[in-house]
Amino acid sequence: MNYVDAVTPILDCPADQVAIRLRNITNKFGDFIIHKDLDLDVLRGETIGFVGGSGAGKSVLLRTIIGLNRPFAGKVDVLGIDVWGENEAEQEKLASKWGVMFQDGALFSSLTVLENVMVPLKEHTNLSPKLMGEIAALKVLMAGLPKEAGDKLPSELSGGMRKRAALARALALDPDILFLDEPTAGLDPITAGRFDDLINDLKQALGLTVFIITHDLDTLRDACDRVAALANQRVSAIGPLDYVREQATGWLEEYFSGPRGRAALG
Amino acid sequence: MAVACNSQSVKLEKNYGCGKTKIMNEAVKTNLVPMVAQEFAPQLRVRELEGQLEVGVKGDWTVHTIHLIENDLNGLLEVIKTKNIAPENVSIHINHLNDLDSAGAYMLCEIIKAGREDLVVNEETVFGEHPFARDFLKQMERFVEGGIEIPKPVDAVAKFKQHVVDGIDDFFRESVETLSFVGQTVSSLVLAFTNPKRVRWLPTISVAESAGLDAIPIVMMLTFFIGAVVAFMGAQTLEAFGGTVFTVDLVGISVLREFAVIITAIILAGRSDSAFTAQIGSMKMTQEIDAMSIIGLDPMEMLVIPRVLALLIMTPIMVFFAMIAGLVGGAFVSVLTLDISFTLYLNRLQEYVGDKHFWVGMSKAPVFAFIIAIIGCRQGLEVENDVISLGKHTTAAVVQAIFMVILVDAIFALIYNELEI
Repeated sequence: MNYVDAVTPILDCPADQVAIRLRNITNKFGDFIIHKDLDLDVLRGETIGFVGGSGAGKSVLLRTIIGLNRPFAGKVDVLGIDVWGENEAEQEKLASKWGVMFQDGALFSSLTVLENVMVPLKEHTNLSPKLMGEIAALKVLMAGLPKEAGDKLPSELSGGMRKRAALARALALDPDILFLDEPTAGLDPITAGRFDDLINDLKQALGLTVFIITHDLDTLRDACDRVAALANQRVSAIGPLDYVREQATGWLEEYFSGPRGRAALG
Repeated sequence: MAVACNSQSVKLEKNYGCGKTKIMNEAVKTNLVPMVAQEFAPQLRVRELEGQLEVGVKGDWTVHTIHLIENDLNGLLEVIKTKNIAPENVSIHINHLNDLDSAGAYMLCEIIKAGREDLVVNEETVFGEHPFARDFLKQMERFVEGGIEIPKPVDAVAKFKQHVVDGIDDFFRESVETLSFVGQTVSSLVLAFTNPKRVRWLPTISVAESAGLDAIPIVMMLTFFIGAVVAFMGAQTLEAFGGTVFTVDLVGISVLREFAVIITAIILAGRSDSAFTAQIGSMKMTQEIDAMSIIGLDPMEMLVIPRVLALLIMTPIMVFFAMIAGLVGGAFVSVLTLDISFTLYLNRLQEYVGDKHFWVGMSKAPVFAFIIAIIGCRQGLEVENDVISLGKHTTAAVVQAIFMVILVDAIFALIYNELEI
C-alpha cells in the first residue's frame, strides 16, 4: 500500500509517519453541526489541498487543528501531540513546529516585515539580535520578497507581497508543518502561479508538510499531492487529484466539471 | 531511524500521478523523519593543514541551537580574515552533522563563503556524507548568495528632528483642514435645514440615543459630585468670614456657568468622539465610504450630518440634566452639613443667582456639541487603511476635542467678561 496515493481518510500506518491525525471531530455552533465524526490523516511530507463549498467548515477545521477553536468532540493529534489534551508543556512545543499563514496575512501592523518575521524568533530562540536579523532577512528572501521589503510596514505592501511576508513569518522557525489558508485568493494568476511554485520550492528545500485550504484549481493541480474534499460534515473524498475528480459527486462534481474546472484541469 | 518513511516512498511511480512527491529527492524524504528527541549541541572542529582550513561540524545546527555556536563561528570568520586564507582553501566536513535547518544552513554557508560574495557548494567545499545536508545547502545557495543585508537602525537625532518638523507641520495642516471641514459641514447643514427631507432622521435618532441619552446618568453623577465638592470647599473658606450662606451662590454660579457644560462636553468628547472616529474609521477601512460615494450617497449627509444634528439636539438636554444634578449635589451638602435649609437654598438660588447664569451655560452647549461632533467625524474620515492610523486618529479626536472645548470656553469667558454678563 502506497500511502501517498491513499484514498481513505483513515490510514493504517505508524503514528510517526502521520503529521496530522483527526479522529471523530465534531464541531457545532449552537444547533448547527459543521463537522460530524470527521476523520483525517495527513502524512508527513505531503501537500494536502482542502476544498469545499463556502460554509462547509474548512476554516473552522483549520482553526480546530491549530488550537484556536475547541472541537465539541474528537481528538486532534499534530506531530503526535494532542492539541486539545491536558499536556500544556507538549502543546507549547507545537508553536515552533508549525507555521500558519492566515488568509489576509494577519501581519502585525505596527511592525515592519522584518520585525514581523523576528517575532517568533524572539519568542522561541536565543539568537543574538544581529543573527536574528540575518535569519529573518533570509526568510524574507526565501519567501520571494525583494530585500528592500524588509523595512516596509504591512500597510505599504501589495496583497501578494503581504501574503509572501506572512509566509516568511510562518517559515521563521523552520516548521515541520505549514498551514496555508487560501494562499492564492485575491492574487492575479501570474502571482498565484508563482506562489504555487514557491510552495513547491520551499517544500522541496525544507521538507515541509503543507496543509492548504484553497479554491484554486491550479494550486490543487500544481502544488498538491492529495486533495481532500469537505462535504456533508466530513471528508467526503480524498486522494490524488485525478482520483478525486473521477469519484466526484454533487458539489465536487460541479466544482471540477464547471467551466473553470475544465479550463484549469483540461 | 532515518528509514521510517523511505521504504514506502521509493515506489511512488504508481497511477494518479499528479503528485510532486515523485520528484521529491531522497534528501527531503529523510528530513520528514521525526526529529531526535534529544538535541545535540552544535560544535566546530578546525584543522589547518598546508594552508587548507578544514572545518568539521558536529551536532544539531538548527534555529534552536545555533546561538550556542555563534561566537565560535564569528571567531572562525575572524581567523580566516586575519590569516588571509583564500576562500577556496576553506572546506567543511559534514560527516558528524546531525540535524540541519535553514538557519543552520545559513551559518554553514557563511563558513563556506569565507568572506567572499558568492557561495560555492560542491565536492571541493563540502566533504563527507550526510543524508540531506549537501542537497539542502545546494538549495540554500541562491538565497544566501550576494549576502544578507539587515537595515541599519535610523539615527536617533535625525529621527527626533524629523519628529519635531513633522509635529509642527501636522499642527498647521490639521488646523487648516479642520477649518475647511467646518466650512463643508456648515454648508451641508444649511442644505439640510433648507430641505429637512434630506436629513437621515433614523441614524440621527440612533446617535442621539447612544451618544446623548445613554450618557445622561454618568454626566449627572459627575456633576452631582462636582456640586457637592464645590459646596464643601466654599463652605470651609466662607465660614471664616461668617458667610456660609454664600456657598449657595458659589455652587449655583459655578455649576450653571461652567461645570455642567464643561463636564458634559468632556464626557461627550471622551465617550462619543472616540466612538464616532472608530465607527467612521472602520467604515473607511472596509471601503464602505467609497461604496457610498459610488452609489451616489454623500458621506457628509449620511455620516456627518446625523452625528452633528444629534449632538446639537442632545447636548443642551444633557447640560440641563447636569445642571440639575450639580445643584442637587450642592444642596445635599448644604442641607446636611451647613445648616442651610432646602427652602433657603432654593430661595437664594432664585434671588441671587437667577437665570442669567443658566443661559450663559446653556449658550455654550450647542457650540461645544458642534466642535465635538466635527472633530470626531473628521478624524474618522482621515483614517487610512491600517489599524495604527485608526488608533492614532481616535486618540487625536479625543485630545483635540477636549483641547478645543477648553480653549473655546476660555474665549467665551473673555467675551462674557467684556460684555459684563
